[in-house]
Amino acid sequence: MDIKITEELDNTLKDNGFKKEEIQELIDNAESSGVKLKARDGDVSIAKGVSDNLTMYAVYSPSELLDVYAHKMSILGLTGGELNDVDYDDASDWTCAKCGEIALERNVDMTYMGVTRPGPGLVCPKCDEFYVSDGVAKTLKTAESILEEKRA
Amino acid sequence: MPAKDYAPIDQNWLEDAGSLWTTPWVDKPSERVIVDPIILSHAASLFRKNAGYFYQNPDEAIRMVCHACELYDVTPVGHYLYADYWGQDYGAEIKIQTNSPPGITKRPIKTAEDVDNFEVLETEDLAKGPTLTTHYKALDTCKEEFPHMFAPITQLGGTMEVATNWAAIEDVFMWMITEPELVDKLCVKAGDHMVNACKATAERYGANVMITGSVIASGDLMDTEQIKRFSFQPVSRAVRKVLNAGAGPGIYYHLCGNHTDDFQMWKNAPMSPFTIVQIGYDGQNIFPTSKLVEHFGDRCTCFGTVDTKLVDRGTPAQVYEQAKEQVLAGKDSPRGFILGTACECPTNAPPVNVHALVKAAKDHGKYEKF
Ligand SMILES: [Zn+2]
Repeated sequence: MDIKITEELDNTLKDNGFKKEEIQELIDNAESSGVKLKARDGDVSIAKGVSDNLTMYAVYSPSELLDVYAHKMSILGLTGGELNDVDYDDASDWTCAKCGEIALERNVDMTYMGVTRPGPGLVCPKCDEFYVSDGVAKTLKTAESILEEKRA
Repeated sequence: MPAKDYAPIDQNWLEDAGSLWTTPWVDKPSERVIVDPIILSHAASLFRKNAGYFYQNPDEAIRMVCHACELYDVTPVGHYLYADYWGQDYGAEIKIQTNSPPGITKRPIKTAEDVDNFEVLETEDLAKGPTLTTHYKALDTCKEEFPHMFAPITQLGGTMEVATNWAAIEDVFMWMITEPELVDKLCVKAGDHMVNACKATAERYGANVMITGSVIASGDLMDTEQIKRFSFQPVSRAVRKVLNAGAGPGIYYHLCGNHTDDFQMWKNAPMSPFTIVQIGYDGQNIFPTSKLVEHFGDRCTCFGTVDTKLVDRGTPAQVYEQAKEQVLAGKDSPRGFILGTACECPTNAPPVNVHALVKAAKDHGKYEKF
């Protein structure tokens, strides 16, 4: 699918060193594989692209790119190794497009510069797929810069 | 005392202490376990001032705390906080006391109707309110005069603490039995307030370390289901919201009191890469660090403790013995360890007892693996 990018968002992409083609590829992959999150109300999706040192997310509607964000910490899996019951507001606003389950908010282990610690993730309880929200990506950015400073 | 009346902080000490302090989160080799006896008004007693003076002079309070950190060779962080926050912002009256932190005398919520009508303040209003302006005066002084000891802390308490600063504790406990839905509402509002307060600190300083958990919501006052409903769940919801709003990344779960029956549920509390968990008591006894590490060591930084009653009234040998046991059980916890006290260092604790705590960490807290 061909996605429209507003001038404003295009500038954000440039400022953050994201390439348009990369984003388009991310979305194409999500659309063909079905590995993405879908908003429980509305027509918005989140696609994810994982490379060695960056996990990138594109938020988009069928016609338009809405947001792009990324984190450097890489997600290893569930903190504590298993999906425990929490049952209170832990259902996120997103469903896993692949299996239809509601994504849950759970701690996931993340690793960066040799340090592994938990972070709040969006987890498909069936597919073993992990995502983070745009807000958490901001929190992680602060965490990453602290690690960069203290591990240096 | 104005800044010019203090001796300069030893910069070599500060550098060493700073590296000990960050070890628990960043796995960077350092020599030994760091100690955080949660020094607040105890610092004032070292300067022959009382708790009332400490809390009326937030800028001086920070100077006293930072110098006490150097004196004891402990975590170099300028703390300034007390339990009865967040009442005044909503119209409560506060009383300054000579020998203890300020206490709330008149609370804004009196009836069930007040709970319904109660409105949580927006971030901008909280930033201008009495709690944060006082708190920020202390933090700004720290940032200006002790920049290497600065951490952007927001003292939240848990939802039950906030709720009982808004309404009398006896009313809240009565409603828990007669009208639990009313307490749900109160706790949701307390959680929303916590989110706004964290955002205010994050906006001002670019980051935020939230101190939350539960003091009142412990096994001595509430049963496990009540703790889950009125503390764990609404606190978790608030912390998630804070992290989803881009604030954080520090989270310090301060679970004071007895948590024998509910500590397990906190394993699933929302965590960030900089999370500390501290649990006060296991029944009548201090919470064993071995048990803390067993349940939380593969998740976050463990804060092992020494009984504050012992620090206040025990002998240095008793403090040393308990600290030794805790530090030996915790020092190799996979995601870092801090040795501290179960709660705030008592105002008039004998300095030799605080020294004994630190000495135990120096003698027995060496990292062999590095
Ligand atoms: Zn799925």
